Amino acid sequence: MDIRGVHIDDTFAEAFGMRGVRIIITAKNQKWARESANKLTGFATSVIACKCEAAIERDLTPGETPDGRPGISVLLFTMDSDSLPKRVIERIGQTVLTCPTTACFDGLPDAPDRIAIGKPLRTFGDGFQGSKMIDGQRYWRLPVMEGEFLIQEMFGKAKGVGGGNFLILAESADAALDAAEAAVDAMAGMPGVILPFPGGIVRSGSKVGAKRYKTMIASTNDAFAPTLRAITKSDLPEGVNSVLEIVLDGLDFRSIAKAMQTGIDAACRPGVHSITAGNYGGKLGPFHFHLQKIMGGDVEDGPT
Amino acid sequence: MSDRITLTLRAPLARPLDADAIAPDRLAALDAQEVSALQLRDGRVGVPLGDVFTVTGERSSSLVIDGDLAQLHGVGTLMSAGSLTVTGAIGNALGARMRGGAITVQGSAGDDAGSAMAGGSIVIAGNVGDRAGGALQGASKGMTGGEIIVRGIAGREAGARMRRGILYCASCGDSVGVGMIAGNVIVSGAIGENVGAGNKRGTIVALGPVRIPATYAYACTYRPPHLSLMLLSLRKRFDLPVDDAHLHGLFRRYSGDLAEIGKGEILEWQASP
Repeated sequence: MDIRGVHIDDTFAEAFGMRGVRIIITAKNQKWARESANKLTGFATSVIACKCEAAIERDLTPGETPDGRPGISVLLFTMDSDSLPKRVIERIGQTVLTCPTTACFDGLPDAPDRIAIGKPLRTFGDGFQGSKMIDGQRYWRLPVMEGEFLIQEMFGKAKGVGGGNFLILAESADAALDAAEAAVDAMAGMPGVILPFPGGIVRSGSKVGAKRYKTMIASTNDAFAPTLRAITKSDLPEGVNSVLEIVLDGLDFRSIAKAMQTGIDAACRPGVHSITAGNYGGKLGPFHFHLQKIMGGDVEDGPT
Repeated sequence: MSDRITLTLRAPLARPLDADAIAPDRLAALDAQEVSALQLRDGRVGVPLGDVFTVTGERSSSLVIDGDLAQLHGVGTLMSAGSLTVTGAIGNALGARMRGGAITVQGSAGDDAGSAMAGGSIVIAGNVGDRAGGALQGASKGMTGGEIIVRGIAGREAGARMRRGILYCASCGDSVGVGMIAGNVIVSGAIGENVGAGNKRGTIVALGPVRIPATYAYACTYRPPHLSLMLLSLRKRFDLPVDDAHLHGLFRRYSGDLAEIGKGEILEWQASP
């Protein structure tokens, strides 16, 4: 399959199950909501070392937020249910509670599984905290030096999908970055999906383990590293001098597949040789995103 | 099965009747004959419902009561589901101890509306008597959940001893929120004297003028973040006249009652200069 002269490999991206929350941060204005969200999602690119993956999902208008103020939605994922509350609590406690004017709400109100987030954080109030029940939900009011911080007691927890990806193989580093930026711009704000890496782009795609260092969980993807073409078993076609990867996490298969469809289409531009994806032969996870099926409009739900 | 059951008053009531048998969830499984056989109470004497009302419809959890019912007391007691609409006035103890469902009164209601209610909503287009959302006689707790919306005036001791829930009224008499354990009273207009006496953890929101009792102490002027959430919810659900100046405005916070544990508050809205 070719799209505007860019070859789409007949392969699939392999993804795995995660657990996630959607965090709604509101503030006096968009600036402060974003300040808080940027801190909350900092150092959350990969579970390999960050213990969670998180990023801004999209901006929210005052009409979309519980308290009628500007806001931002964030998605945060972990590999298992047990560690999810700990990651969310420590990050909200350090980056939303501390940020001027913010309040914090659950963004998955229909999720049947609930985890206590505001409840443990309430103890920062040292006994001066209070709660309010509004529409069947409890909210905690924590007195702080600025005034009050408001946070919902329980957050919805959802099954998610982590590790959706595609690789942009380009003639030059500039062409790869231009295409990756175009893909990220096109996917920005798509619901249910985040791109957890810097600017949504990964330059250091990895393989599982290492050839030389036994303790490494992951190491450089030498098959796609252009400087190693001559000394390793390279997967790079002739003429490719740079590769960038887009990694996607999402709340469901379809959201990721639709975002990949949009991003890949935007990445098909001059200077790009081909689009491929990372997989481990189907051994890593049950979610397989077949590039040619997705670009053909076939966006299925669930593991395939 | 009908869309609704309608009870239409046959003749004006000359004497008070206890009507705690009338609640939509209890009528939902009954045919018209069974509904007519329900017993109302005139003092110690039982009166078949069918002698007082004509009954149309059957087996529905939507109930409409037509007529001037100011002498009909206890309607909706222990109601847990369904909808009840009263097209005129209604007597005392409307929705007492109700746990769910929705009551709409197009006229006014008597004393003790929603006393000790635990859930559901009561919306009254007119005025309401004393002790709305309060406690049953001798009980320690008033309403513990749900919402009471009074578009007119609430009488004395609205929200007395309430534990949880929201009571909204356009204005109210003396002693609003007296003995509040927790919960929320929101008054959009004038408030009487003796506001929140004995309040432990309750919140009284004054969108209009209020005289702060001596046992409350000024804390600060700020934007209570929970309040915009609560007011937005009420505006959306009950079409209340809450404007943006209230949603995002400044409030003076007074802590009290300091004769109690002092964890309650009066939030007094500040009009923009």
